[in-house]
Amino acid sequence: MTNILLITFAISLIYMGIANRLSTYINILALQGIILFGVSFIELIQINTLNLIFILFETIFFKTLAIPLFLNYIIKKNSITREAEPYLPDFISVVIITAIILGSFILSNIVSGIFIRKMFFLAALAAVFSGLFIIITRKKIVTHIMGYLVIENGVFILSLSAANKMPILVNLGITLDIFVSVLVLGVFVNRIGNTFEEMSVDNLNNLKD
Amino acid sequence: MSGTGFILIILTSFFFTGILIRTKSIFSGRKGPGIFQPMKDIWRLFHKENVYSQTSSFIFKIAPDIYFASILIAIMMIPFGNQKGIFSFNGDFVFFAYLLAAGKFFSIISALDTGSSFEGMGASREALYSFLAEPAFFLLMGSLALLTGYTSFSDIFSSISFDSYISIAIGTLASFVLVLISMIENSRMPVDDPKTHLELTMVHEVMILDNSGFDLGLILYATNLKFAMYGAIIANLFLTPGKELYYSVPIFIGAQTLFAVIVGASESFIARFRMSHNPQFIITIGSVSLLIFFAVLLMLGKYI
Repeated sequence: MTNILLITFAISLIYMGIANRLSTYINILALQGIILFGVSFIELIQINTLNLIFILFETIFFKTLAIPLFLNYIIKKNSITREAEPYLPDFISVVIITAIILGSFILSNIVSGIFIRKMFFLAALAAVFSGLFIIITRKKIVTHIMGYLVIENGVFILSLSAANKMPILVNLGITLDIFVSVLVLGVFVNRIGNTFEEMSVDNLNNLKD
Repeated sequence: MSGTGFILIILTSFFFTGILIRTKSIFSGRKGPGIFQPMKDIWRLFHKENVYSQTSSFIFKIAPDIYFASILIAIMMIPFGNQKGIFSFNGDFVFFAYLLAAGKFFSIISALDTGSSFEGMGASREALYSFLAEPAFFLLMGSLALLTGYTSFSDIFSSISFDSYISIAIGTLASFVLVLISMIENSRMPVDDPKTHLELTMVHEVMILDNSGFDLGLILYATNLKFAMYGAIIANLFLTPGKELYYSVPIFIGAQTLFAVIVGASESFIARFRMSHNPQFIITIGSVSLLIFFAVLLMLGKYI
């Protein structure tokens, strides 16, 4: 069952490569939150109850509801245009994300650890690199945050694979989540979308001392 | 007994497109034509004479027949449950794919033979899309072959079994990919709209502009047959071997009808893509097939 969820996660990464609109990105992030909820529920059923409830609450509340809704709110509030505006054509994005999944599959076969299972390693590595790829190929700051959220999901999956032995790793992953929330809040508080006409990175080049 | 699948596919092809069109008309709030109307149109075309352009050569005359024959031979290879197709050998799914490609090649060169610029454009698009869809089909069939350990259609489908979670997931993904491949190969909605009559945006329809009469009827009927053929491949995933004939025939017909309804429903709710979005859509199907391949590798524990 875990494997099915992780394959769905990988498919959601491919879908992210061809998504045009910011709302689609947000829906994919919410879907990934649900998938992570399922995976952590199946994997972590043995750890102590309080910790389990905390982790499940974190995945279902923050990843699936709070962050997507808040991103939606930011997009509306700062009147950001709904297109993602990539630098590359979507066709090349899909090919590159497929290549990333292929590469992480090969890499996960080379790296063999006792604590890490291969499917987890594959999904985590693919998510980290696709997030990085989304960050460098999209113009807007909101999409950078979304790419960072994908990276964060990847780190969370990697920590889940070893969570039975070292539950502290999951908590470290959640710390990253809090950091992301601060980042999202930063965009919201500074109202970058209103200060500059378009919330694209090119405008940051004009900043001088 | 090995001809059961062949006869059933021919029977299904009579009403497949009718169900599809009926579904579309119900979703758009119309009553719609009867489900045998497409076959009646084709029957009317069969009685008409062919009109050939003076500039076209013999290629244009033989191409529809070869296209039709290639699809008919491909159908003979489809098994039915645990019964083999009319002929079956090791590696026949490769032959199957290239037989269809040969038929498509003839339809492309006959489109080029007419010398019309629109038809050449449509032919180029059709070639591009089927070229992009081919890896998806081979990755899918290759992973099914790897999963079962056999290389012919009948052995693959008679030994496939859904007993664990991951094999159910593989079956679901495989039928998803097959539905999308069949929609690309038959030039249906997300990629190509059969109802559009603007030459600049047509893909398959523009290639047969010059065909008329009997040839046009053959080409249209070949499309119906192709749909029923892909539906039969999908239905075979669900026909677990050993079922009696009185179970497997209703399952087969039910799967085909469900497939037609799904195609019709998705056509009613999806707008066609912009031309530039089509290749990335088709590549995405290839990526999903690659994931199926990985899942099979993972299931068997066969790593590189």
